Order: sequence, then structure tokens, then C-alpha cells
Amino acid sequence: MDAAIHVEALTKRFGSLEVLRGINCAVGESEVVCVIGPSGSGKSTLLRCLNGLEEATSGRVLVHGVPVHDPATNLNALRTEIGMVFQRFNLFPHKTVLQNITLAPATLRNLSAAQARDRAEALLHKVGVFDKRDAYPNQLSGGQQQRVAIARALAMQPRIMLFDEPTSSLDPEMVGEVLAVMQTLADEGMTMVVVTHEMGFARRVADRVLFMDEGRIVEEGAPEILFERPAAERTQRFLAKVLPA
Amino acid sequence: MEPVLWFGWFRADIIAEYSELFWRGLAMTVGVTIVCILQGSLLGLLVGMARLADARHAPARQLCRFLVRWPATIYVSFFRGTPLFVQILLMHFAVLPLLINPVDGLLIAGDTAREIKQDYGALVSGVLALTLNAGAYISEIFRAGIQSIDRGQTEAARSLGLSYRQTMYHVVLPQAFRRMLPPLGNNAIALLKDSSLVSAVGLAELAYAARTVAGAYSRYWEPYLTIAVMYWTLTLGLAYMVRRLEHRYGRGDTR
Amino acid sequence: MIRLPRGVRPALLLLVLASSTAEAQSRPLVVGSSATYPPFAYETPAKEIVGFDVDIIKAIAQKTGLTLKIVNTPFTGVFASLNNGDLDLIISGVTINDRRKQSYDFTAPYFEARQLIAVHKDSTVKSLQNLAGKKVAVVTGSTGDDVASRAFGKTSANIRRFDTTPLIIAELAGYGVDAAIGDNGVIAYRVAEQKDLKTVTDPTFPQEYFGIVVKQGNAALRTILNTGLAAIQADGTYARIYKKWFQAEPPVLPRQ
Repeated sequence: MDAAIHVEALTKRFGSLEVLRGINCAVGESEVVCVIGPSGSGKSTLLRCLNGLEEATSGRVLVHGVPVHDPATNLNALRTEIGMVFQRFNLFPHKTVLQNITLAPATLRNLSAAQARDRAEALLHKVGVFDKRDAYPNQLSGGQQQRVAIARALAMQPRIMLFDEPTSSLDPEMVGEVLAVMQTLADEGMTMVVVTHEMGFARRVADRVLFMDEGRIVEEGAPEILFERPAAERTQRFLAKVLPA
Repeated sequence: MEPVLWFGWFRADIIAEYSELFWRGLAMTVGVTIVCILQGSLLGLLVGMARLADARHAPARQLCRFLVRWPATIYVSFFRGTPLFVQILLMHFAVLPLLINPVDGLLIAGDTAREIKQDYGALVSGVLALTLNAGAYISEIFRAGIQSIDRGQTEAARSLGLSYRQTMYHVVLPQAFRRMLPPLGNNAIALLKDSSLVSAVGLAELAYAARTVAGAYSRYWEPYLTIAVMYWTLTLGLAYMVRRLEHRYGRGDTR
Repeated sequence: MIRLPRGVRPALLLLVLASSTAEAQSRPLVVGSSATYPPFAYETPAKEIVGFDVDIIKAIAQKTGLTLKIVNTPFTGVFASLNNGDLDLIISGVTINDRRKQSYDFTAPYFEARQLIAVHKDSTVKSLQNLAGKKVAVVTGSTGDDVASRAFGKTSANIRRFDTTPLIIAELAGYGVDAAIGDNGVIAYRVAEQKDLKTVTDPTFPQEYFGIVVKQGNAALRTILNTGLAAIQADGTYARIYKKWFQAEPPVLPRQ
């Protein structure tokens, strides 16, 4: 199995609430997979299981063949290969933009301060926030903060990037700049799993779209097919509500 | 000594007579306070983190619960739940004689024990009791401070691959520290004043000097007003330093 | 003046005083005593305050028609309470000395005291001078404190002051000091409880006397108490109480 991510019979229960009811899916190298669905469907939970932020009640998640939830796995090491971008950015408010990005590489990859800074500045250029490198997160707009968050995740040079509703907390005029960065990443061949409500982005950029409802993957397929001719009735109902008329 | 009267009634001469005790007492109070604040903060940090210790998998999970979290909780409950005065007396007249005793000390015995007990006995008991007491209260400040940091901060740091310790050190504790400065400052001031209780076991600090003068002359205004002014000055100084610290570390916090 | 038999004059005075106090006394006299000082004043398990001092003041009260309320007051605050009116008198093993006389008034002595040194059984200390350079525990502001301060310097770091006599004995037992100095009555009582300690008398220790303390200027109460004290000494009540607590004949006390 040369899939980057492999999910087998994954279930997740919070107390008596079953949030994931047997998920089976795979994400290939350089594939961009978008996960859509109503709130409460378990999209975020599935994403958070992929890098071990959530434990699995049963089933397996394999990342590059390594079982994520196995006690014997070095989860910290595995996580350096997976980057995550959060809905609320989660930038470190007590550090400057530059420090936010250099922290992990300097600590974990043993880069010198200069090397870490060079890498950070290159990434800041890439996401278009270079001029704010010495500012603190609370001095940035939402869109700028999220782009910094992406740069921070990229600084560890991961092979997979996970996005948990990255634009849901942004004012509409800033959504575009973040999606643009994500599109660049996709074009460069990054393996990406994106939980999103941005249907336009999913249509344009995704290689495959997963529709989830009530803890199960109801339907998956290429965006042209899933958006134009959804097979399941539930998919149709969801899309009817969500897509512009 | 000729009575020297201020405002027609305050006998300044009896204070001057014992001035050596007051100066030595001042130094002792300041020294004990500083040492106990530092030690108490360190202990508080460790215990505060111990109260939050957890692991993903067994057997580390059970170990954390019974060997780390429970002892920490019991310690905090005891030292916050009993009066400091009682703790000081217990420490000096019960615990320390058990541990440091020329005859049958569990920790130290023989002539070294005698020397230590005579020259530093009250100091050791006092510092120990104050440190343990402060540690319990401060651990709650640390625990609450750490828990007040948004979970997303930890999630972001762990997602980057940082370990628990690195996350604490680089991300959580620096932010928590800012929030903890005001209550920590209050604790430091409280400790400064609580140190006066150690005079009951014979430690020659500020309150002890006042007791001595009051005992000798059966006059209370002079000695106690004197040390009240001295304590007040000390707490004002401490409060000023805390405010400076809060200013310095206050930038960059979004919440 | 007609020469009256010895006891008649005080008895007459008593009668007059008793009748006047009976009407003048609208409330019981509040007596302050630090009841952590056996055998002079201490609390039984039943929370009763008993002791030599208690028996003496009760006997005086009976003779003079006073009603009393005894309040357990920590020694360090007892004089302040007397001054601000919370207490009317103090009977608590208080030694009469000049420094105290500057601020308070005493009755005639009711007990003869001397200081006693307590040490460990294996100690070679024979006198106060032997204690030079050694660590000594005393009760703050007590006569023992006075004695040690005069001998070694009042700001000497070798003098360790504590609130009560049991504490100085505890400190001695725990090897925190080489000796404890206190009033004979109390020290002997405490040392008897500890197997490892003994007492040493220094012949240079002067005799001192306990007195009942009243607020400076309160001559009326002082007179009543003195009269009562003289009366119980005259009729053997004092001797009986003394024998009860100290198993010995009482010495003759000076009149002032």
C-alpha cells in the first residue's frame, strides 16, 4: 500500500456519542482530498484522528505505513511529517511571526538560528506576509494570521498537510488570499486533506471529494462527478442547501 | 535609658535600645521571604504540573493517576487546609526533632544534629513550613494558569511535533506566566507577612524583635507600630516590583 | 485609738468593704490569667481553669464578697487587655519588678518565686554563668527573659524567646537549646514530666515575688485585694492552698 494515509474501519466514540462509525478511506501521494458535509458529521474528528490529536476507539490509521494510535509509535516524530492548520489559527501570541515559524525547526530539526530564519523568511515570502515578520499575531488580520499558520506548518517540511476548516473564521474578503496559498501548495504536489465549506475551492483544486454525514462517508468521488451528479440522496440534499442556485 | 518621647507618648528609646534585634530581624524576614518565594514557586510549578499529569496509554496512565496526581492532590489539600501556624509548630516541635536529633535523628544525628538544631533549628523549620505552604497555594495558581491557556495552543504545538516538555516550555508556560503574575505577586506579599508566624518558634525575625520589646516593657504601641511600618514598607516595595514585572511581560497577549 | 485584737481591724475593714463592693459591683470582675502555666493556672480536660493562682484569687474573692469571671488570656496580650479595660486584674504568675511598676500597680506578694534552670540530665551546667555562650530558651518578657538578658545581653542571638513555658521545655527536649530558664513552680512541674531533664538552682538567683496586677491608679481594687490576701494568710486558707499545690509549708511573705 503506497497510499500516504490509510484509514481502516475507524470508529470514534465520545462517551456514549458515536462520532465516527467505521471510516474506510485512503489518500494517495500528492493527492488533494476535500472533506465536506454538515456540521456534526465527524469531518473534523476524522481529520484530527489522522495526526493523533484524537484517539481511535477502534480501527487503524496508517500514515506512510506507520500506525498512528499504536503506543509503540513515536508520535512526536510522526507529527513532524504532518502539518496541521486550524480553524482558529492557534498562533503563539507571545512570539513574533518569525519566532512562531522558527520555533519547531530550530528545536526539532537542529537548525541553527540563521538557517531557521532563512527558511522562515522564504516561507513568509511564499505566503505573502514577509513585511509582517517582526509583528505579533494580534497585530495581523485574520487572513494574514492564517497564512502565517500555514507557513509555520510548512517550516517543518511535512509530506502531508491537514486543514481543519481553514477559512471558516475569516472575513469573506480574506478567504481568497488563504485559498490562493493552498492552491499553490496543491499545484506543487503536496498531499493535502482539507475539511472545508468552500465548495468552489473543492471543485477547482480537489482530486477527490468525500461527503460525510452522521459519522460515515456517504459518497466519494472526483469533484466533477460528485458536484454535478451526486449519487446518494443525502449528498443531493446537502449540495442543494450549500451550493449557490 | 532616658525615656525619649515622640508626640508626647511614643517611647522611641525602647526601640533604640533593641535596635540590633530590629535590624537583624529585618534582614531575616527579607531573607526568609525571598528564599521561600523562590523555593515555593519552583515547588508550586512542579506540583501544579503534577496535578495535570496524564498519559495516553496504560500502564503510564495508571502510574500518572496514583503516583503523580493523587500524592500531589493530597499534599495541596493538607497544606491549604490546615493553618500555617499549626504547620510551623508541627514542623518545629514534631517533625524536625524526629529527623534532626543528636540522639536518634532519622536524617541527621550526633553532634552535627546538635549544631544544626541550635544554630539553625528554627530557621530550617520555618523555611520548610513556609515553602511547603507556599508551594501548595502556588501550585493552584500554576494549575489554573496552565489550564487557562487555550487548548488550541497545545494542539498546534504538538501537531508540529514538539514534545510535552517542549510545548510546556516554549508555548504554554510563558503564556501562563503572564497571567499568573498578579496572583503570584499577591502570594509573595502574603508570604512576607506570614513569615511573622515563625517568631513563635524562636526565629529572630521582625515580629520576634517586637515580641521581645513588648515582653520586656509590657508596652505594645512602640514595638508593633514599628514593625507594622517596616512590613508595610516591604510590601509596598514588593508590590512595586511585581507591577514592573507585569509591565515588562505583558505584551503580545491576545486574550 | 483603741487597741483591737489582731484580726479585728482587717475583719472590720472587710465587712465595710464587702458591703460596699456588694452594692458597687454590678458585674463580675474580669480576671485575666494565662492558663497554660501549671501549676499556677491551667485548663483541665473538662475545660475548667484551675491552679494555685486560681485558688488564691477565688479565696480572696470569697473573703471580700467579689464575684469573678476568669478569662484565659495569652500572656503576651494580658497587659494590653488590662489597660484597655477588658480585664480588671491579672493573676498569672506575674513577677513584681521595677520596669513593670512603671506602667502597672501590684498588690502585696502572694507567692515567692525564684528562677530555675532546666537542662538535660547529662549536662554539666551548675550555674547561670556556665551558660555563657550557650543557647538558652526563655518565655518572652518573663523574669527568665530578664535574667538571661541581663547576663548575656538583651539582643544576644543566644537567647531564644517563646510564648509559653511548655514550648521552652519542648525546645530544650528537642536539643534546640542547652538550657531553659523559668519560674521554679512551673519549671519543676514540667521537668518532672520529662525523663531526660533535670533542674539546677543558681544560688545567685534572687528571690522574687508574684503579685496581682491592677491598672495603674486603681487604688480601690488594689486595697480590696490586699485586704483579702492578708485575711486568707491570717486564717490559714493560704497555707492550705499552698500545701495543696506545692506540698510544703509556705514561706512568710513580705507585706509589700
